[in-house]
Amino acid sequence: MTPLLNGLMITLLFLSGVYLVAVLERWSLTGHVIWGGPIRSFLLLFAREEIKTRKHDKVFFETAPILFIGVILLTISILPFGRDSVIINLGTGALFINAALVYVMVALMMIGWATNGVYAMVGGWRALAQLIAYSMPVVMVLTATVMRAESMFLIDIVESQQSLWNILFQPVGFILFYISALAITFLPPFDLPVAKGELAGGVWADLTGARKLLFRLGRLTLVLTLSVAVVVLYLGGWMGPWLPEFVWTFLKTLVVAASFFAIGRFMPRIRHDHLLEFNWKYGVPLALYNIFQVGVVLLL
Amino acid sequence: MISVQLILLIIFGLAAIWFGWRVFMTSSMVRSAFSLLGSMVAIGILFLVMEAEFLGVLQIMMMGTEMSIMAIFMMMFMMDPGGLGNMDMSHQKNISIVAGIVVTAFVAGVAFTTDWGIFADQVQEPHEQNRLLGMEILKRSMMIFETAGVTILTGMIASIAVAISIKNDAKK
Repeated sequence: MTPLLNGLMITLLFLSGVYLVAVLERWSLTGHVIWGGPIRSFLLLFAREEIKTRKHDKVFFETAPILFIGVILLTISILPFGRDSVIINLGTGALFINAALVYVMVALMMIGWATNGVYAMVGGWRALAQLIAYSMPVVMVLTATVMRAESMFLIDIVESQQSLWNILFQPVGFILFYISALAITFLPPFDLPVAKGELAGGVWADLTGARKLLFRLGRLTLVLTLSVAVVVLYLGGWMGPWLPEFVWTFLKTLVVAASFFAIGRFMPRIRHDHLLEFNWKYGVPLALYNIFQVGVVLLL
Repeated sequence: MISVQLILLIIFGLAAIWFGWRVFMTSSMVRSAFSLLGSMVAIGILFLVMEAEFLGVLQIMMMGTEMSIMAIFMMMFMMDPGGLGNMDMSHQKNISIVAGIVVTAFVAGVAFTTDWGIFADQVQEPHEQNRLLGMEILKRSMMIFETAGVTILTGMIASIAVAISIKNDAKK
């Protein structure tokens, strides 16, 4: 297959992936699968009048949506969909995932501050609290996957799982990364920054029109990105029989994304102090144990 | 010898200085913290331009979290966090100007008079740099890093222990 055709296929798959994630999100909220739903809400938000809050912070108000979607696109660009299908093959790929996704929180905090509203501001600070909870475990479990591959190239991390996928090799790390991925995407059990019902939409409470559209689209892309990250780091990436490589990545990604939404549908929202307590009292020690276990197994 | 690398270095160096200046010229604590973040990210990009990929990514990652945490602490402890009272963050202006000029002259003097030796004409690949950095940290510099790490940990525990209020009032 020529590189151009390959690139086109990946773009198409990714776009349809975002669409399917949008359908899944709607299902997780309403319990119905509505195929036309995403298009309808896209047109609605696109055409809607943009109402700005009084005395909003102009610079942050314009920067935050672009920063939000920009860092997510940067993260996608380093994730491999196949052995040769990666846009930028970074020598520090595993670290870069975390570095870029920190700025998701920065964008949320920025927009929370910029809108000059109470709900938005509380939502923004909650995004920070959530990051403080998950950032340590997520770096430590990434380190454990790097230890096994002896490389920070994401392609090497996938190839290190040739004999045994990381989900079986380091199950503790997988569980911690999975929970952290849910928290990074602020999906339902961890949707503190945008909590419906208690914060009336949180950081998005005062946004309308195109800005809200950018954030919604960004979040859907973020869900897909984190699903790809779970697949690459723990589920053997593109590995699988018969089908082409990127098809396997795509199928696994959709299964992970569906599981994200399924958990969100059946779990109550967690309180931020409980989240912090869990991650610092149990998450960090478990992540350290995971590094220890992986290290011992590798040396034996 | 003007290359793309040099032009990028100049652009992002100036960006770092400009953001650093903005930190003190705004009255809102959050704007100030995010300006500092902008300055630090520009420095991270300088590392990337100089082909020190690990350092650049690390700088950008760490500063995102650190500056956000700083923002919330500045919100909590400043009297006018939103900048509604036209607070001025600059003070002792004459001394600051003199100190700024003296330090700039000193740094520029050091930069221009030092014999920097031979410049590396090519840099190793990022993954090779990572490996060498790991070897350095786990061999020659291990003692330094371990000492620093344990010192910081002790400092963190001590500051938390000092900050916790003693809740034995009920017993008295």
